Amino acid sequence: MIRLENLSVTYPGGVEALRGVDLSVGEGEFVVIVGLSGAGKSTLLRVLNGLVPATSGSVTVDGTEVVGASAATLRRVRSRTGMIFQTFNLVHRTTVVNNVLMGRLSAVSPWRSTLGLWPAEDREAAMIALERVGIVEKAYVRASDLSGGQQQRVGIARALAQEPSLMLADEPVASLDPITSRQVMGDLRRINQELGITTVVNLHFLDLAREYARRLIGLRDGELVYDGDIAEVDESTFQEIYGRAITADDLLAMGEERVSPNDG
Amino acid sequence: MTMTTATATGITPRPPLPPREARKRRWGIALVLILATLWSVSGLNITFDRLVGAPGDAWAVLRQMVPPAFAKVYERGVVGKIFESVYIAWIGTIIGAILSLPLAFLAAHNVAPGWVRTPVRQLFNAIRAVPELILAVIFIPITGLGAWAGTLAIGIHSIGTLGKWATESIESIDNGPIEAVQATGGQWVSGMRWAVIPQVMPTITSYWLFRFEINVRASAVLGMIGAGGVGSELVSHLVFRDFPAACAVLLMTITVVLTIDTVSAAVRRRIIRGSTGTGDEASRSTEALVDLTGLKR
Amino acid sequence: MTDIASTRPTRPRPRIRTLGITLALVAFTVFAAREVSFSFSTFWEVWSNPLWEKFWPIPWEWVLDGDNVIRPLVETFQIAVVSTVIGCGLALPISFAMSPLTTPNRPTHLISRAVMNVVRAVPDLFWAKLLVTAIGIGAFAGSWALSVFSLAVMVKLFSETIDSADPGPLEAARAAGGRHTPVVRTGVLPTVLPAYVAYALYVFELNIRASVVLGLVGAGGIGRVLEAQRQFFKFDRILGILVLIFVIVWIVDQISVALRKRLV
Repeated sequence: MIRLENLSVTYPGGVEALRGVDLSVGEGEFVVIVGLSGAGKSTLLRVLNGLVPATSGSVTVDGTEVVGASAATLRRVRSRTGMIFQTFNLVHRTTVVNNVLMGRLSAVSPWRSTLGLWPAEDREAAMIALERVGIVEKAYVRASDLSGGQQQRVGIARALAQEPSLMLADEPVASLDPITSRQVMGDLRRINQELGITTVVNLHFLDLAREYARRLIGLRDGELVYDGDIAEVDESTFQEIYGRAITADDLLAMGEERVSPNDG
Repeated sequence: MTMTTATATGITPRPPLPPREARKRRWGIALVLILATLWSVSGLNITFDRLVGAPGDAWAVLRQMVPPAFAKVYERGVVGKIFESVYIAWIGTIIGAILSLPLAFLAAHNVAPGWVRTPVRQLFNAIRAVPELILAVIFIPITGLGAWAGTLAIGIHSIGTLGKWATESIESIDNGPIEAVQATGGQWVSGMRWAVIPQVMPTITSYWLFRFEINVRASAVLGMIGAGGVGSELVSHLVFRDFPAACAVLLMTITVVLTIDTVSAAVRRRIIRGSTGTGDEASRSTEALVDLTGLKR
Repeated sequence: MTDIASTRPTRPRPRIRTLGITLALVAFTVFAAREVSFSFSTFWEVWSNPLWEKFWPIPWEWVLDGDNVIRPLVETFQIAVVSTVIGCGLALPISFAMSPLTTPNRPTHLISRAVMNVVRAVPDLFWAKLLVTAIGIGAFAGSWALSVFSLAVMVKLFSETIDSADPGPLEAARAAGGRHTPVVRTGVLPTVLPAYVAYALYVFELNIRASVVLGLVGAGGIGRVLEAQRQFFKFDRILGILVLIFVIVWIVDQISVALRKRLV
């Protein structure tokens, strides 16, 4: 599904975000990437759909080479790749369903989408996506009126509406409380299992990573330092990846759930 | 910013001037200001007796204005002329709005590449520099006297100001949704339509209304050179020194302008409040901001 | 999954009021367009009108001649300076009188506000024409007109600033005891001075542009030259003057921006 060969990314300022990364992800896998801030997690994700251009190496997504691809090719790859963001990236002033419909942009001609004349089947796809994440009753509510957890689920629905073969999640729960974080991660896992969509998730919280990952990738200073099954992972693995001892900041919740009852 | 000699801490910001330096600089500027004023005053032949005499002359004229001759002026059809000014301002603002919006997208640094941005921004600046009156002067020989010349003048000039304000709006949005549209494989136009426009339209619409308020005044003025509207009425009364009539025209114009101002301000506040949901704070600062960026032009 | 179709909300229909308002606006626009003799063909006609040839080439010798153009331009500049100084100078005390924060008593506040609104409602050139009729043709009348208008603009801008200024220092000054004027001077003036200067520079820019057109109604400056040339159809000279004006305005703009940066 995904194949990275000797991938390196250097930003215009000179920052080397990724160095010689080799990675292979099969279809239907659920992969979690961990690493300190600045280790290259975000960059890695964004190289996969071409939002960040690679400096050298090869990136193949579902058989298509992304590095150096034309704009049209990139759009095609992106249309089959759903992305979820830490800050949700919803349009606050419009309705939930309009946000989800943005996932259908690549399937509908620019004229029709610009005028808002979405075909019936695309509206249906949006509704189905909302049903999958369980908030279809909020379809015509303004996006800014939702809670953080609900907004992220709209983000997931938007990605689902694309009917993607690959799902990328860049720290999807970093702004959410523990209960909601688990709900969102649970949604991602369920989608991966029920629909078989390959999923790659960046996570900041290590206990969450252990709970939900099946395969764990560790990045440090732009290099791949760990790649293995989650069953073999323990405390020392994380320390190895981070290069330092684990602190409370790296964990989502100490023990049980504490917070707000009204999320969901 | 000048850099002080490299210190161990790296680049240091410019240190605040010691008080004596600051005071000297301020006195220096004040001196320049005083000199410039004196030079200007002498250049304009503003002698003392003219200065003293002027209010007296103005007062004499003012006294002749009362009571204002409303009936006479009404019969001459001044109401229709005032409406004509409003129509000119309305259509002119619409022309400016429609033409400036697409251009504004091409001028914003978060959505358009550099080689497109610069010419468009310069175009806005060039248009803004030419007052509506001059534009009307240029258009009249081509379109003939009348409302259409005025409308074109206002429309074209508005492109400059509205374009600049719209560009600033676009540049101040959250870029996240744009990234989201890219990530779904959408094209640039879709990004503009779905990620940018919902964020900026409330502010831009209120700018359009504000421009309309300004344009109503502008169109009244354009009448003075024959480009349609109530200005011609005022001029003809003044030329014949029919001050009561001139006063009537003036008062009626003021009333209409004030009414439009008030209604438009209320609508603008409503639009802004509806979009941010925070009410007075937002609308107040928006008004101040809008005022700052272009009260007169 | 629960019963799907029944939990979907229905799409909200557009409100009658919104439709009504939109329709009214459209109708008004169409009506107004007819009243101003709007025609699409004009855009094409304007573009291809042979009259444009009379604008070129620019007779630089005539344009740059001292008597023809330079002296009136200097006069225009001087009008702008005088108007700004008078207008902004008077605006300072009047703004303080207008603001609820610093006004000595309520009637002053209300009266000033009302007067300013009326003054602002009168277009600047109307003032100019009035004053020209009353005082006589020339730059003198022009300066008066622009001063009045500068005053109105400055008061509007500046009083907003005063209104939103931090009331802390003012309270402190009042608590320390003292008459009204010194209290205002020490408690508010330092806070708002940078804004005052910025606005004054902005008003100056406005006045330069405004004083150009003043001449069109006989109030002195380059406008008179423009009007004269227009009556003789000397469009090439007009264009030359406009280019010159554009350059000057641009220079003043740059200086003003630089000054603003250094003072604020």
